[in-house]
Amino acid sequence: MTEANRRRLEPSAGICSAKGSLDQVNVPLIALRDVSRTFDDGSVVALRAIDLSVARGEFVSIVGRSGSGKSSLVHIMAGFDRPTSGQVVWQGRNVDDKRQWTTLRRESIGIVFQEFLLLPTLSALENVEIAMSGTGLTTAECRRRAADLLERVGLSARTSHLPFALSGGERQRVAIARSLANRPILLLADEPTGNLDSANAAAVLELLLALRSEAGMTLVLVTHDEAIAARADRIVRIGDGQVIAEPLGNEAAPR
Amino acid sequence: MTIATLALRNLLRRPMRTALLALGIGLAVATALALLALSSSIQRSSDDSARERGADLTVSQKGAADLFAGFVSASLGPRIAAIPGVAGVAGELVMFAPVNEEFQFLTSGMADESYFWPSMPLLEGRKPAPGERYVVLLGDTVAKAVKKGVGDEVSMYDHSLKIIGITGYKTAVNRGVVFLRLEDLQELAFRADQVTVFHIALTPGMAPDAVDQLKQKIEALGQLSVDPTDQLFANDRNVEVLNAVSLAISIIALTTAGLSVLNVLLMAVQERTRETGIMMAIGWSDGRIMTTIVLEGIMTGLAGCVVGVPLGLAACLFFNRLPVIGTYLSFRPSLGIVSPCVAAALLLSVLGSLYPAWRAVSLTPAEALRRA
Repeated sequence: MTEANRRRLEPSAGICSAKGSLDQVNVPLIALRDVSRTFDDGSVVALRAIDLSVARGEFVSIVGRSGSGKSSLVHIMAGFDRPTSGQVVWQGRNVDDKRQWTTLRRESIGIVFQEFLLLPTLSALENVEIAMSGTGLTTAECRRRAADLLERVGLSARTSHLPFALSGGERQRVAIARSLANRPILLLADEPTGNLDSANAAAVLELLLALRSEAGMTLVLVTHDEAIAARADRIVRIGDGQVIAEPLGNEAAPR
Repeated sequence: MTIATLALRNLLRRPMRTALLALGIGLAVATALALLALSSSIQRSSDDSARERGADLTVSQKGAADLFAGFVSASLGPRIAAIPGVAGVAGELVMFAPVNEEFQFLTSGMADESYFWPSMPLLEGRKPAPGERYVVLLGDTVAKAVKKGVGDEVSMYDHSLKIIGITGYKTAVNRGVVFLRLEDLQELAFRADQVTVFHIALTPGMAPDAVDQLKQKIEALGQLSVDPTDQLFANDRNVEVLNAVSLAISIIALTTAGLSVLNVLLMAVQERTRETGIMMAIGWSDGRIMTTIVLEGIMTGLAGCVVGVPLGLAACLFFNRLPVIGTYLSFRPSLGIVSPCVAAALLLSVLGSLYPAWRAVSLTPAEALRRA
């Protein structure tokens, strides 16, 4: 990747400085350095030499067709998968250890999946509570915070329901509440509206953006919906495992 | 929401499978419990039996592989009785003898001068008169098994013996013994002038040092071994073999239970691979995920013990009352047997859950989430 391209992929200083300290101006919240991911001894290439930085407080959309590598990219950013080569840097520090990633996901990174991924034997309240298990909070505190979050996502009347008894939109709201349980500074959302009808998709998106604004979280949103992507501060386009273009700001992004 | 709650929910999502696993562990615990109760009861029963009859020491042939294989000359009785500190000597020929060609009962031939005769309790009938030949007294469980009473006859080694009394002993061993005069049993079994053991009653209040000196004096009479009655079967080859077999079967049963835990949890973990991926995705450490699975193993093991201990105790009770078993064997469970069975079941449940737990966290979150 050329130096010019690398500069284009760096976050805008304005967004970063709006929430960060002086030190954080130059330190991305998370950065991928020349990250590649291959499978089957290199015969399948999911990501090719990706360089990408996301600043604290930034809202970045990652767009691309199915199979373009979007989800692989998010998996690398969440530490679900390890790059075949390259580095993932969190606030200036290289992260390459399973324990470091576990701690980050518990304390700093929230994740929302397209398929909701709730635990089927737990109620909505418990699905949110469980994300706080092992964080040092008391059971009562976990329960209180989970109830508050479910109220925030409009599910205070559905706390005791098991996932199978909830609609798709409700399940995704529970998943969003769960992702926010530990007050993350980075929220990764992998096609969060992909399995919802248009009305629910719009509602969930608005909820996600509202919560993100309130908490000042960094949001990385994977989507194939250009309209949704256009609401981001920055759009990163992925094709064939590579960043293929990234306009500065969202003004050049298709709407 | 605690780890324990999650583990319990995981188990309850497949209630039938969990119940069957717990039942399997329970059967293994019950088997181990009954077998260990059986093996431990032999020594305790023989001790109780000797105490009931008033014996402190037992003299047997030195180096005999098992109690019944050793023989001592009956003529040593008076010499042992002459040693200071010996309050009573009871020479006894003990063997399993055929009764009515259908049963094998523990049979005791006791010398006329044995101090056991005067203290023998009777439910009915009488004891043999001096010189009276070919008469027997039956323990009450023997009488029930052969369905004979006072006045009836039983056969032993093709000889008819008249039943003159039913003994009223309380211990399981003594209740299952056929008693007759030593002279008669020696003749019937071709064991002239032989006894299996001498039981010795000590003068009350003897100091341990004096008992040791007495034992040395008796052992000096010949190739004799003198043991406290509670150690009578301590070196008995047959009992050692029975103990070893019981222990081996118990270990096999409990190990099978542990392997069942491994198998079922491995299946459950594979079914829940995606859920494990979710746990990883929300920041659960490998340790917490493994702890949840090990807790599932412990809970299953506990459930197995809850089923198995009462089942084992009930089996012991049932076997004791079943004439075909209870006549020969005594199952006496105790806390000292229950505790190691429970501990072993829980330990094997933990061991059985470790591999599935390790398997669960061996995948990356991405791999786990990709599984359908």
